[in-house]
Amino acid sequence: MHELLERTIKEASSYFQNFLIHEYSKKSALHAVDARIKLIATIIFIVLAVSTFNLEKVLLVLVFLIAISAVTGLSLRSIAERIWPFTLFSFVVVLPISLSNPTYAVTFTLRVATSLVAIQMLVMTTSFAEICLALRSFRVPEVFVSALWLGYRYAVLMFRELLSILLARESRRVSKGSHMDVWRKGGEAVGLFFLRSFEKAEKVQLAMEARGEALNHYHGKLKMLDFVYATIVAFTALWWVII
Amino acid sequence: MHIPDGYLDLSVAGLFYILSIAVLGYSIYRLREQKLTSLFGIVAAAIFAAQMLNWPIPGGTSAHFVGGALAGILLGPYAGTLAMAVVLTIQCLVFADGGITALGANIWNMAIVDVFVGYYIYKALERFNRSIAAFVAGWLGITLAAIFAGIEIGISSSFGYGLGVTVPVMGVWHAILGIVEGVITAGVVSYIAAARPDVFEQKAAPGKLALGVIAAMIVVSPLFAYAAELVGYAEPLENAAEKIGLEENPIYEGLLPDYTLPGLDPYVGTLIAGIVGTVIVLGLGVILSRYARTT
Repeated sequence: MHELLERTIKEASSYFQNFLIHEYSKKSALHAVDARIKLIATIIFIVLAVSTFNLEKVLLVLVFLIAISAVTGLSLRSIAERIWPFTLFSFVVVLPISLSNPTYAVTFTLRVATSLVAIQMLVMTTSFAEICLALRSFRVPEVFVSALWLGYRYAVLMFRELLSILLARESRRVSKGSHMDVWRKGGEAVGLFFLRSFEKAEKVQLAMEARGEALNHYHGKLKMLDFVYATIVAFTALWWVII
Repeated sequence: MHIPDGYLDLSVAGLFYILSIAVLGYSIYRLREQKLTSLFGIVAAAIFAAQMLNWPIPGGTSAHFVGGALAGILLGPYAGTLAMAVVLTIQCLVFADGGITALGANIWNMAIVDVFVGYYIYKALERFNRSIAAFVAGWLGITLAAIFAGIEIGISSSFGYGLGVTVPVMGVWHAILGIVEGVITAGVVSYIAAARPDVFEQKAAPGKLALGVIAAMIVVSPLFAYAAELVGYAEPLENAAEKIGLEENPIYEGLLPDYTLPGLDPYVGTLIAGIVGTVIVLGLGVILSRYARTT
């Protein structure tokens, strides 16, 4: 079971770094743009990138996104570090086709890369709290948004709880055990973990009801800055169309 | 199994958004009177944590647990589907795991197909043997979810491979990895059945008609996807422009019509137009940065 623990901790530590990426990525002008505008902008950029196989159009969106990131102060290096694994994977997947149709392989990979840059520009500059507020202002059902926010806040805590259960079991283990044993015992540990999560959910619900569920709503008005970013998005779309 | 942006045609992605929103909306409607917000949130966090477990498998690699079928069995299909949708949305918007345009399809595969199929199978087999029922539910749930992902990608003309490649690759691979999913689902279910049998008793039987409709939606969704693809993908925005006659009679020719300059080699023209566009975006970006400093 130590293998399970070791691999999990290794992967989780890199995964959890993402949680506060917007905090430690270099402060950029994009951080100050309203999350609602950024969310819509991300969707528009991605739709522009993935609704065409015209290489020029895809490149146009990619170059524009890189230009926006560079000039607003986002680290291009961090973006590249975060998008390359999946971009490379996508290229490898379509590699066999590239023999007969190289343009397709390049365009396909660039579409994926462009979408990844667009998402990273959102993720690196926006806290999840802001995204939830933005979703709320778009009238996404309250239950869903609250659950998103709770799930996000409790993810690290629940992971610690799961790890402590596994560590406790590992410390009591005397035999090495086969893969099947690890799966079975691990399954039991995860069972205990889910029971605890139900109990925690109940407590949190009671606490929320006792205090009254206060909701944060967006009161912020759009600033000049937001209109400038909206103009950039609109210009990108316009240039994409007239190309 | 998270489909990223760029793999699906927009028509297919849009269709699965509609289907997923319909099922999620109905699930919220069904559970409206129960105060379950924290259950979705906390259990979603728990599933999220459990998905991090890196189960070693023979041969030195490892497999992840998805947990859709388990969520359906433990929480019932409606609450399970919402908890899984919460997990997938967080993964998309925080970790960029799975694309934004593909979120509808990802929710359909992992939060609806996996959860509902897992639930149906478990309910059908439970009376024979609880552990085996949970194993089959976990295994088949994840395998079918992968097959659905294969269908969605395979039908999309954006992806260079057809159904003949994507479905077997996704299906066979996940049918093997799914064994881990099945064993863990069975382990969790038998542990909870022994420790807290009341967890299973609390699940009130949900409406049969609605369950039937959702099952039918799952079965016919690949046909819908095929139809959506037939309706025409290619380049939706350009198609739309063509339909309303913008292509023939552009409203505005632009400074650099068709991205070229008259009298210039088209490639050079395109390059110049691209540079001009980039310079304009850079200029707007500088203005944005200046405003950001003043606020």
